Amino acid sequence: MSDLQIKDAVKSYGNVDVLHNINLDIESGEFVVLVGPSGCGKSTLLRMISGLEDISGGEMFIDGELVNDVDAAKRGIAMVFQSYALFPHMTVAENMGFSLKLAKAHKSEINEKVRRAAEILQLEKLLERKPSQLSGGQKQRVAIGRAIVRNPKVFLFDEPLSNLDAELRIEMRAELIQLHKQLKTTMIYVTHDQVEAMTLADKMVVLEGGQVQQVGKPLELYDDPSNMFVAGFVGTPRMNFLPAEVVDVSNTTSTLRFAAENGAPEVVLPMTDGKLAIGSKVSVGIRPDHLHFSPAQSGDLAIPIDVAFVEELGDLTYVYVDTKAGTRLSSQKKDGRHNHGTTGYAVADTTSMFIFDADGHRVRA
Amino acid sequence: MTDAIASPSALASNRRKIKVPSLWTVLKWIAAISVAVVALFPLWWMFSVVFAEAGVPVAVNPRLYPTSFTDGFAKIWEVFEETGYLRAYYVSIMYTILTIAGVLLISSMAAFEFALFDFPGKNALFAVVMLSLMVPLAVTLIPTYLLVAQLGWVNTMQGLVVPGLASAFGLFMMTQFMQSIPKETLEAGRLEGANHFQLYWYIALPLSKNALITLAILTFMKTWGNFIWPLVVSNTREVYTVSQVINQFNSPFSHTTVDVVMTANFLAAIPPILFFVFFQRWIIEGVQMSGSKG
Ligand SMILES: Nc1ncnc2c1ncn2[C@@H]1O[C@H](COP(=O)(O)OP(=O)(O)OP(=O)(O)O)[C@@H](O)[C@H]1O
Ligand SMILES: [Mg+2]
Repeated sequence: MSDLQIKDAVKSYGNVDVLHNINLDIESGEFVVLVGPSGCGKSTLLRMISGLEDISGGEMFIDGELVNDVDAAKRGIAMVFQSYALFPHMTVAENMGFSLKLAKAHKSEINEKVRRAAEILQLEKLLERKPSQLSGGQKQRVAIGRAIVRNPKVFLFDEPLSNLDAELRIEMRAELIQLHKQLKTTMIYVTHDQVEAMTLADKMVVLEGGQVQQVGKPLELYDDPSNMFVAGFVGTPRMNFLPAEVVDVSNTTSTLRFAAENGAPEVVLPMTDGKLAIGSKVSVGIRPDHLHFSPAQSGDLAIPIDVAFVEELGDLTYVYVDTKAGTRLSSQKKDGRHNHGTTGYAVADTTSMFIFDADGHRVRA
Repeated sequence: MTDAIASPSALASNRRKIKVPSLWTVLKWIAAISVAVVALFPLWWMFSVVFAEAGVPVAVNPRLYPTSFTDGFAKIWEVFEETGYLRAYYVSIMYTILTIAGVLLISSMAAFEFALFDFPGKNALFAVVMLSLMVPLAVTLIPTYLLVAQLGWVNTMQGLVVPGLASAFGLFMMTQFMQSIPKETLEAGRLEGANHFQLYWYIALPLSKNALITLAILTFMKTWGNFIWPLVVSNTREVYTVSQVINQFNSPFSHTTVDVVMTANFLAAIPPILFFVFFQRWIIEGVQMSGSKG
């Protein structure tokens, strides 16, 4: 169990900055998930933590000790790779005991530790096999087992489940949660799957363009995103965004007009004075579960729409609609089925709207 | 009645099951057998000449089978007695074993760095080594000899072995092979606590087993039969290799008869034959691999 601090960490390849000013505080025993779209620098950050990549700038501490110049072999960090990276010429038991063998541990101690890890991961029967004789899920388990045996300070996972099929992925996800409860080791987990992130994380870190966008509990990010990227990235289906313009401002409210829409509908939002200026462009974000299809005008905002298509899943119904300006919106219905024809209104209440300024920053009431 | 009609066709289909080999198969077998005969006949001929009655000239009265084992062994004994053949065996075997061990070690260590790590000047260095593959032996022979002579290594085992250790071909082959080891495998090893040498020893080396075996075989073939370099560098009986001893028999003024010369050749052929018999499987795999790997 160890904590980890990253201060103003920078990574550049030549003169290309891949990570800018990363600041992260990871507490002992936390399950931290790094999420972000492909190429945002998740793996790079993880590899910097592991020591496989050096840090171009800034500092990193494990248990308060500066580790910038500590070799990967000495950091006490275990990593599970997306490709598993098992040693193909060694048996499962040899794979798992490799680090102990290097550390010149006694044979009986190695066997005992390997046996215990194998028990946790249900690998007892596979110990004498070579990696080529294992299924993807089993390989994954061996990779995790190899990490467990060492009793590392920090566990790193780089998209460990992305090579597994959907069902196995859900199963392994549950096992990982179980494992974390059991070992209570600090874990840092990289994924680009936000569902995986939401289900696993104590703390979720959203990365984009080499920068930390927001850090918090998964539901905090969902309920209170601090910018448009996080709002769009967390939650499926994606949050809807509608462009609008501020047309009137009073002490306690601002009025937004959806100018391109048919009839230029307007909505009056509670808003502290000075936060929005008349004439400024904003984006209004509404989650699909707060946007409803209605055959008649109602609610705080009603935008005329045509139904594009409907996905009926039984318990849930997604209605995809097009506004007159051509913006595709998704709305979700929890109860009932969609039987309301093909035109109507997309309606929402002001309480469920998120406002973002032209730079994508959240404007809170 | 139906039986009577059915039985001939049933017979026919039965006969078809015995499967008459197609013309193509027959031709393939004929070709294979011919090649085998061509390859084996000289060995058999050598064998029957060695184990032939002494004093009966083979050229006058050729026989295709051994006629006297006692005379054959007597000839072998004669060769051993008169030429220091046992010493030559020892020199050749040491020369070959040391060369193989050295080539494997040096090629694999160098290839480990070239294939899996970056260092300044890597590509240029590799290019230089590859260029050396194109320089013919005739060009390097004298400079190498002068260097060895300066070191005082003429007529020594190290003089025989060391110049052959840095094998450009070996480096090329091992580098090609090691490039196929995923970087992540080594990174995993590093995180498990392996230092640089341990990465080589516990991961890269065992994973390159097939390439090492191939290289060992190719090096064996090259070294055992090597003639020019031993001829140049070892000039005393103490460090004669088998091929040099045989060469003595071939000298125009020697008075030995053909069957004794043949005995010397026969003795020289035994180690490679044994080697091929024992390592047949790997040799075939190895040749296939080095063929496809360029
Ligand atoms: N060795 C390198 N040299 C130059 N640029 C690199 C190097 N490695 C990574 N990059 C760049 O750094 C950025 C981040 O890469 P990284 O692998 O961390 O992305 P990622 O978030 O893990 O993406 P993915 O989800 O696809 O795995 C990418 O734009 C990539 O092109
Ligand atoms: Mg990645």
